[in-house]
Amino acid sequence: MATNVSAVYIQVVDDVISKIRDEFINFGAGESALAELQAMWEMKMMQAGAISGNIERPAPQKNVAPTPVHDLNVPYEGPIEEYETPTADMLFPPTPIQTPLPGTDSGMYNIPTGPSDYAPSPIADIRNSLDLKTGRPSPYMQPPSPWMNQRPLGVDVNVAYVDGRQETDRGSSQQAMTQDFFMNSSGKRKRDDYPSRLNPGGYLPQQDGSGDITIELPQNVVNQLHKGSPKHGQGSGTSKVIPDRGRPALLPQSDGVQDDYDDLFPFQGVATEDYNTPGDHVELRTPTPAVATPKPNKDEAEDDEPSLNEDDDDDDELDDDQDDDEPNTQHLVLALFDKVTRTKSRWKCTLKDGIMHLNNRDILFNKANGEFEF
Amino acid sequence: MSTFELYRRSRIGMCLTETLDEMVTNERLSPDLAIQVLMQFDRSMTDALENQVKSKVSIKGHLHTYRFCDNVWTFILKDATFKSEELNEPVKRVKIVACDSKLLSQ
Repeated sequence: MATNVSAVYIQVVDDVISKIRDEFINFGAGESALAELQAMWEMKMMQAGAISGNIERPAPQKNVAPTPVHDLNVPYEGPIEEYETPTADMLFPPTPIQTPLPGTDSGMYNIPTGPSDYAPSPIADIRNSLDLKTGRPSPYMQPPSPWMNQRPLGVDVNVAYVDGRQETDRGSSQQAMTQDFFMNSSGKRKRDDYPSRLNPGGYLPQQDGSGDITIELPQNVVNQLHKGSPKHGQGSGTSKVIPDRGRPALLPQSDGVQDDYDDLFPFQGVATEDYNTPGDHVELRTPTPAVATPKPNKDEAEDDEPSLNEDDDDDDELDDDQDDDEPNTQHLVLALFDKVTRTKSRWKCTLKDGIMHLNNRDILFNKANGEFEF
Repeated sequence: MSTFELYRRSRIGMCLTETLDEMVTNERLSPDLAIQVLMQFDRSMTDALENQVKSKVSIKGHLHTYRFCDNVWTFILKDATFKSEELNEPVKRVKIVACDSKLLSQ
């Protein structure tokens, strides 16, 4: 019966909480965290319909008030009316309430947990939150300057790296401007470590892919530049390099695609996208350092994560060919097996201690016999 | 001591996992403590199923898929019927995941 299942669940909750209390105290998390855990757990279960709205506890607990704000020594204060919000209450006939209920759960905790079918398949949410955690240390992607020195972009470049910092400190106008170019164009934090690449020759070969300023320089200069930056597949003749002569009149564009991109690079289909940062173009046009690509990919991966939840609400029929992708919300039996045998195509198994989730109901069993025809 | 993490996939287990995850994200709990809680849940759930539940169920159906890997049987049944004294549920498709009970003592 559903009520029995609820009772078993409540007992499990109580058992877990009581046994974990010592760990909480040892870890320093405290009673309030424990109470919060219990309250949130029960509330989620109520919203998922796993337990009925009336929680009967065999032994009244002394000071477990669900809200950390309240004094823990105060007995239950929750009025009964607060239990009418869970839908489980309407589905199951309410049993006589024996002990004061921690009804403040639904009232005090305005934790939005979503619709009832959210609970059975919160994998994506967990994944999201976990991804948020793992996604935080993105600065690890940031390569330090010495690392970038090792990239094979030309001997001159390496030399420039080593001296880059010092050269920028000289404060020459050319370098300062170019330094700004790099800072603004990339739009990526790790680029800040990017020293200005000033060759002794005085020109600045570009390293981060598409240039930010397209200025047509005399051909000899272009040739020099191309020698210095062999990685560029920008095409021949057109110059997409930072000017070394310092053209203060031309301010570097830092907000994405060059306005006259289309004119200079008609073959670049992506140039028409206005809101791409140059970094996004990088992977499309030039062989960029490996460090550039993972970050956009990572962001895209994180953007795609929520959309993968679409499978959770698929019908059973649609999951016929997706044995491995089916969500846990569908009918599920979790148990232990004692024996599994087969005779020709007739399978028999004995299961025990199982939880069944069928037709949105939870059923527990001690023993089960299965006979399946393959 | 190892536990069967099987029951964490149930509704009660998923509610607990979500709760713990929120609390860890909000730094109300340390991840170690959350893992301790889950392990205790595994033990408590196993005990409860063993001691507090006394019902017997029979399952019949067409076996669509079977898999045995890492001592875990996974069956996918089609058009199955679950019967017991208080239960008669036909389901079109159900997945059964069963761990080896003999490993429980390890």
